[in-house]
Amino acid sequence: MLSKTTFQELSSKYNEPDWLINERLEAFNLIEKLLLPKMQQFKYSDWPLTINDDFALEQSALKISDNSELEENKVICQDIFEASKQYPEIVQKYLNSVSHFNEDKLLAYNTAFMNNGLFLYIPDNVEIQEPIEIEIVQNSMSKSALISHIVIVVGKNSKAKFIQHLSTVGHEKNLANLVVEVQALAGSNVEFSSLDEMEENTTLYFNRRANLARDAHVEWNVAFMNDCNTVGDLASELLGEGSYAYSKAIAITTGNQKVAVNNRVINRGPHSTGLINQRGVLLEDSRLIFNGIGQIVHGAHGSKADQQNRVLMMSDTAQGDANPLLLIDENDVIAAHAASVGPVDPIQMNYLMSRGIPYAQAERMVIHGFLDPVLGAIPKGKVKDRMLAISERKLINGQRSYYKNKK
Amino acid sequence: MATLEIKNLHVEVKDEEKKVYKKILKGVNLTMHTGEIHAIMGPNGTGKSTLSETIMGNPKYRVTEGQILLNGENVLDMTVDERARKGLFLAMQYPAEVPGVTNAEFLRAAINARRPKDDPIPVMDFIKELNKNMALLDMNDSMTERYLNQGFSGGEKKRNEILQMLMIKPTFGILDEIDSGLDIDALRVVSRGVNAMRGDNFGALMITHYQRLLNYIVPDVVHVMMDGRVVKDGGPDLAKKLEQEGYAGLRDELGLDIKLVDED
Ligand SMILES: Nc1ncnc2c1ncn2[C@@H]1O[C@H](COP(=O)(O)OP(=O)(O)O)[C@@H](O)[C@H]1O
Ligand SMILES: [Mg+2]
Repeated sequence: MLSKTTFQELSSKYNEPDWLINERLEAFNLIEKLLLPKMQQFKYSDWPLTINDDFALEQSALKISDNSELEENKVICQDIFEASKQYPEIVQKYLNSVSHFNEDKLLAYNTAFMNNGLFLYIPDNVEIQEPIEIEIVQNSMSKSALISHIVIVVGKNSKAKFIQHLSTVGHEKNLANLVVEVQALAGSNVEFSSLDEMEENTTLYFNRRANLARDAHVEWNVAFMNDCNTVGDLASELLGEGSYAYSKAIAITTGNQKVAVNNRVINRGPHSTGLINQRGVLLEDSRLIFNGIGQIVHGAHGSKADQQNRVLMMSDTAQGDANPLLLIDENDVIAAHAASVGPVDPIQMNYLMSRGIPYAQAERMVIHGFLDPVLGAIPKGKVKDRMLAISERKLINGQRSYYKNKK
Repeated sequence: MATLEIKNLHVEVKDEEKKVYKKILKGVNLTMHTGEIHAIMGPNGTGKSTLSETIMGNPKYRVTEGQILLNGENVLDMTVDERARKGLFLAMQYPAEVPGVTNAEFLRAAINARRPKDDPIPVMDFIKELNKNMALLDMNDSMTERYLNQGFSGGEKKRNEILQMLMIKPTFGILDEIDSGLDIDALRVVSRGVNAMRGDNFGALMITHYQRLLNYIVPDVVHVMMDGRVVKDGGPDLAKKLEQEGYAGLRDELGLDIKLVDED
């Protein structure tokens, strides 16, 4: 059972303003009433995603890279609890403005028990050159849930890149619930990349969502490199006319891991463009579901939706699904999808090997190419190097067990 | 001196549509040594690409009879990558595109595959060698960071094949229609690359449909292939003669009963 005491301790701990305490209370009362978010063809109701014993009131391991541009441009970049005291009006305006705690059980849980968070506000007409790095490390040296909530507002005609890096220290069985809300205001340009590498004993729920105003442009590059069970929703709401979202995700799954991702783009504004590209590589006994959900609502005339969902099977015992769903309620649109489940391309393999590169290495090179829509789009730097190293390591381990079983 | 011998080679390929095996090579014999440039000419559909892919070990082609020996060692039991590391190289007629892998990364991997694990090529040596060879082939610097063959024009792909050969330095290079689709300037550049490899430690097998290439890379020996066999051997003059008389002329002169695909 969820405990009221924990919840109250949490809200008083941060000395929060009344409006936030009230939101938490409201959310808390909804947790039991609301359902888990619906994932096509995937059951996870037995996952420990709403436990709350041994609750940590504090998850302070959130860091932002030093970036002098932020101060120069009057960017607000603060711990969410600090920001809610210092800038109550704008935080109240934007917190839960993209995703809403009354939608489902896990979003309600997030607002009620949030113990980590960030508020990032970029004023209008500002161009931030350097990517803003957000580092979140869950402390799993002891029992402690990480309930994180990031709110990003990118002002009109502003431009910024974000890199989120999620990881774990320690091996306790913990849950992580991560919400990212992005408000891309009119004419803004946002790139959001993420490397998720949570430890095996974690149970992860994520919800990353953007609202796009007129002519806003959002690109997601999310790399699911976790070792843990993961379920979640990546979504872009194309509200404004002429808005554009490109939602890309890759995953490498290993061991007995189960991962289900809904990648959704909803065309609401006319002449909006929503693109989905998902690439998964399955190793060992893992299970991966990539649902690509493109929805064009009535009134979004002249819109475009396109999606690709592909999974590569590197094991005979893994289970992978790439499901495209197109929900179209408007005539004047262009919509397309492609889905595939298969092995590595033999023509590419033969070419690389004909230059002396051994089979296993050639296979990893082809797979890197397969994952390139996200790998290639992550800005150069530490996080990218880390991502390449992790994917190489996962593939080597996976190949080792695959070829051992083959023999 | 190294030797590549092809003895009574019979090869078939699976027709993916009809699910049947089709005989393509019907007893090819050919011996070459380092220090020599050989040319194979022949009409379309004769099996020239089949021969080159089979030497390299493309798993699509099945050898039913005969041998391929490299310095007396049977290569048919080796995988493609082993053959490559033993010194064979095939510049393909249709090189594959591999997104996500840069040209430079690929070349370095290919070179290091031939070196001990703990002794990769030093970065500076690699860059020096790469710059030298790119200059020889009039290639733009940007080619190194582009993805392997991705979006390359036909001519760029051919240059890139030769660049790989210059970097990898094989014992035997098989060049499958390296001239097709090249304008005269590109042909000159590509030939310059091949001629730069000429020497006692390198042998080439040039496969071409036209004699034109052989004005730029003058062969020591010319073989003519028709219907899955080598039907005539000769010197550079044989290529010139073919250019004048056509394949049909030679066929009739040899009294062969073969239908050429380009003829109705
Ligand atoms: N992979 C393949 N699948 C089916 N048929 C093939 C394949 N490769 C070659 N062939 C057939 O084998 C014959 C010889 O082809 P090829 O070796 O490409 O000739 P060339 O290079 O001399 O033009 C042709 O009839 C061609 O259609
Ligand atoms: Mg050919």
